[in-house]
Amino acid sequence: MSASEDACFHCGEALPTQPIRQSIAGQSRSFCCHGCAAAAAWIGESDLGGYYRLRSAAAARVDMEPVDLGIWDREDLQAEHSHVINGGREIILLTDGMRCAACAWLIDRALAREPGVIDSTANAVTGRIRIAWNPEQTLLSTLLQRLVMLGYRPYLAGGEASERARLRERKRWLLRLGIAGLGALQAMMFAEALYLDVGNTMPAPTRDFFRWLTFLVSSPVVFYSGWPFLAGAWRELRQRHLGMDTLIASSTLLAYFASLVETIRGGTHVWYDAAVMFVFLLLAARMLEQRARNIATAQVDALARARPAFATRERADGSRESVPVGQLQVGDVLRIAAGESVPADGVLLDSDAHFEEALLTGESHPVHKRVGAAVYAGTHCREQPARLRVTEVGASTRLSQLARLVERAQSHRPPIARIADRLGSRFVVSLLVAAALVYLGWRIYAPERAFEVTLALLVISCPCALSLSVPTALAAAHGTLARLGVLATRADALDTLARATDVVFDKTGTLSDGESLQLQVEVFDNMTAERARDLASQLQRDSGHVLASAFAQGRDADRATEVETVTGQGVQGWIDGAQWRLGQAGFAFGGRDDGGIWLGDGQRGLARFILSEQPRPDAAQALDALRARGLVIHLASGDGQAAVQQLADTLNIAEPRARQTPEDKLAFVQQLQRQGRVVAMVGDGLNDAPVLAGADVSVAMSQGAPLAQRAADLVMTGHSLTRLAETRDLAMRTQQVIRQNLAWALAYNVLALPLAAAGLVTPWLAALGMALSSLLVTLNALRLTRVAGSASQS
Amino acid sequence: MSILLMLIPISLVLLGLAIAAFVWAVRRGQFDDLDTPALDILDDDDKPAASPPDKPQDPSDAG
Repeated sequence: MSASEDACFHCGEALPTQPIRQSIAGQSRSFCCHGCAAAAAWIGESDLGGYYRLRSAAAARVDMEPVDLGIWDREDLQAEHSHVINGGREIILLTDGMRCAACAWLIDRALAREPGVIDSTANAVTGRIRIAWNPEQTLLSTLLQRLVMLGYRPYLAGGEASERARLRERKRWLLRLGIAGLGALQAMMFAEALYLDVGNTMPAPTRDFFRWLTFLVSSPVVFYSGWPFLAGAWRELRQRHLGMDTLIASSTLLAYFASLVETIRGGTHVWYDAAVMFVFLLLAARMLEQRARNIATAQVDALARARPAFATRERADGSRESVPVGQLQVGDVLRIAAGESVPADGVLLDSDAHFEEALLTGESHPVHKRVGAAVYAGTHCREQPARLRVTEVGASTRLSQLARLVERAQSHRPPIARIADRLGSRFVVSLLVAAALVYLGWRIYAPERAFEVTLALLVISCPCALSLSVPTALAAAHGTLARLGVLATRADALDTLARATDVVFDKTGTLSDGESLQLQVEVFDNMTAERARDLASQLQRDSGHVLASAFAQGRDADRATEVETVTGQGVQGWIDGAQWRLGQAGFAFGGRDDGGIWLGDGQRGLARFILSEQPRPDAAQALDALRARGLVIHLASGDGQAAVQQLADTLNIAEPRARQTPEDKLAFVQQLQRQGRVVAMVGDGLNDAPVLAGADVSVAMSQGAPLAQRAADLVMTGHSLTRLAETRDLAMRTQQVIRQNLAWALAYNVLALPLAAAGLVTPWLAALGMALSSLLVTLNALRLTRVAGSASQS
Repeated sequence: MSILLMLIPISLVLLGLAIAAFVWAVRRGQFDDLDTPALDILDDDDKPAASPPDKPQDPSDAG
């Protein structure tokens, strides 16, 4: 469990230097923040402490930032996203903090305790919560407030219709598999009766009766359960690209129809059992693989979330109204409250304001904007409210342009021919050619056995093991990945990661966490570092600037008076009878601006502060691990030269690239690709989304922008960068197992083919060989479920 | 062998019943969530959970 003494009891994150201690169920626990402490206290008081015993993954950190949930109570939102049920309304929402089944358990219990809740179910696999509530007894926002307080933020699901379609699809697959299983079992029972008749003593009518019965139960299996293969084969034929589905469908149909012909004319053998077993086994393997991937995509999908989006518009008479973002028009005047995100591109009116543009530029510090400056959709208004006039809406905003860049980059991604597909396609063609040749050969040699031998050939060389070799390995690998805290959303992500030669990192949010700033002080004359810090913190007291938090440590009583902020320059004030200035060099002492922050008295500069970002604690270790695996590390950031260089020096990265726009980063990756390198990109911001989409394989951090995650092949849910090296190892091992499996399956087929072609293989021998071969391949794939080194994160 | 004439229809009827039951269960959403219900049995709702037995560091920390 993560409840060790140096980690937060609730979320398992590293504790700050002064953790919050609180008694939970009679025991003193440490917490990283007040949010986590409050959540744990409520869980303890509500007798839900079982959550901590049941969970297999640490909870998400609880944010104390207040969230305005009032919009969830709006009628137009509820009309669109919920529907009326008996006694109330029902809504399906997404949440991001559900990490294991215990979270779903906790949500169910917590909601059940709220008055007015009729029913609720939470599903940890899909990240979805269904709430039925009585609007007369409680507001939806009250219920959601409870979820937020426990660390689960609500988001809109993609609309009811698509939710239902997703569920229907899943149910259809389950039905297919269930019917295939039951039908195949029954068909095998009847087939067994025929097999046991070794001496051909069964009267012909009884034998035919059994054959017709087998025909009856295997028909739905072949055509209903096997429909995905039949449809897939038809698609492959139309695209003139033979693949696994063609082979599976042709083997199944041949076995089925040949058996039917034999049944009608009373021949010696039927192969219904082979047909149904193919369908059942392959369907099961495919479902396993899909399920593993669906879990991964459902969680990312839950991250690629939408909030109900409304904007506050000013009417002509100055009064305000709340309108959906979609109804905004160019020229509207908007009011943005502090902490809200900007809904459309616009220009700032009235007064200066600060905006955090992390989503667009990756720069996490708020940017000062003057009146008339352009403000972009997706950025966050900080500190004070702002008014702006809309200049661009919807698809023409900078945000949407980035989103389009992502789509374009994705469609230009270098094509990767998957090894199994390649092999499979060749195998299918050569097998069909071989079957035709064998048939012709036997026609000449012994026409009466030609059909039977050809069929035996197709049955024995059935690509069961071959088709199982890849899906089983992938399913096992995906399961292990999930335990490592990595979600793979694309099928070929592991394949490409195993071949990667270069890794490009983003800075803020990837190598650094963008929050922990380190303050260095250089002092001049008779100033001491402590005094400089103290004076600066006094001056910064009320500014609310991001730097203030860095200065805040070690401040005692407030002594500064007449503190005033000089816009765009710095602050000045009186402390202990002397006037001090803090800000750019020109403001503090009349020197030349050098990017640092100076403390001065107007004439002399007495101290210089340098803020630097701290790399993540495990960044150096993670990079070393990657280097040890022969990967070349690059750094590309949207941040300024000095900050990037400083971090690169700390982490020993050569030739860092600073001030990179999303387009620059994409161009850099494409340049590497032209040199024949296989590039993996690790990033988190929206500004990384295009390059994530354009790189051969991409990894997004789960704290990052949703769009970045949608563009990425892998999403890291944990905080630890060292998982990257482990993921790469797993990718290599997966490739190895797939190769072993393919080699075995091919060797088996190569061995069996001549025997079958010579007419030496009896059906039961073929069935046994096939089963053993499939079993071997599956067991080999299961080796991937073992995690090397540090085990799962729970 | 005439027993077959009875046993085989019975087996087919049973197969039909099994499939019907399976279809019913899938339609009712019995397979929608395979993880959460497994936890229900591990926690007793009626009485307050006793001190978790599987946390070795707890006693030293009590206070």
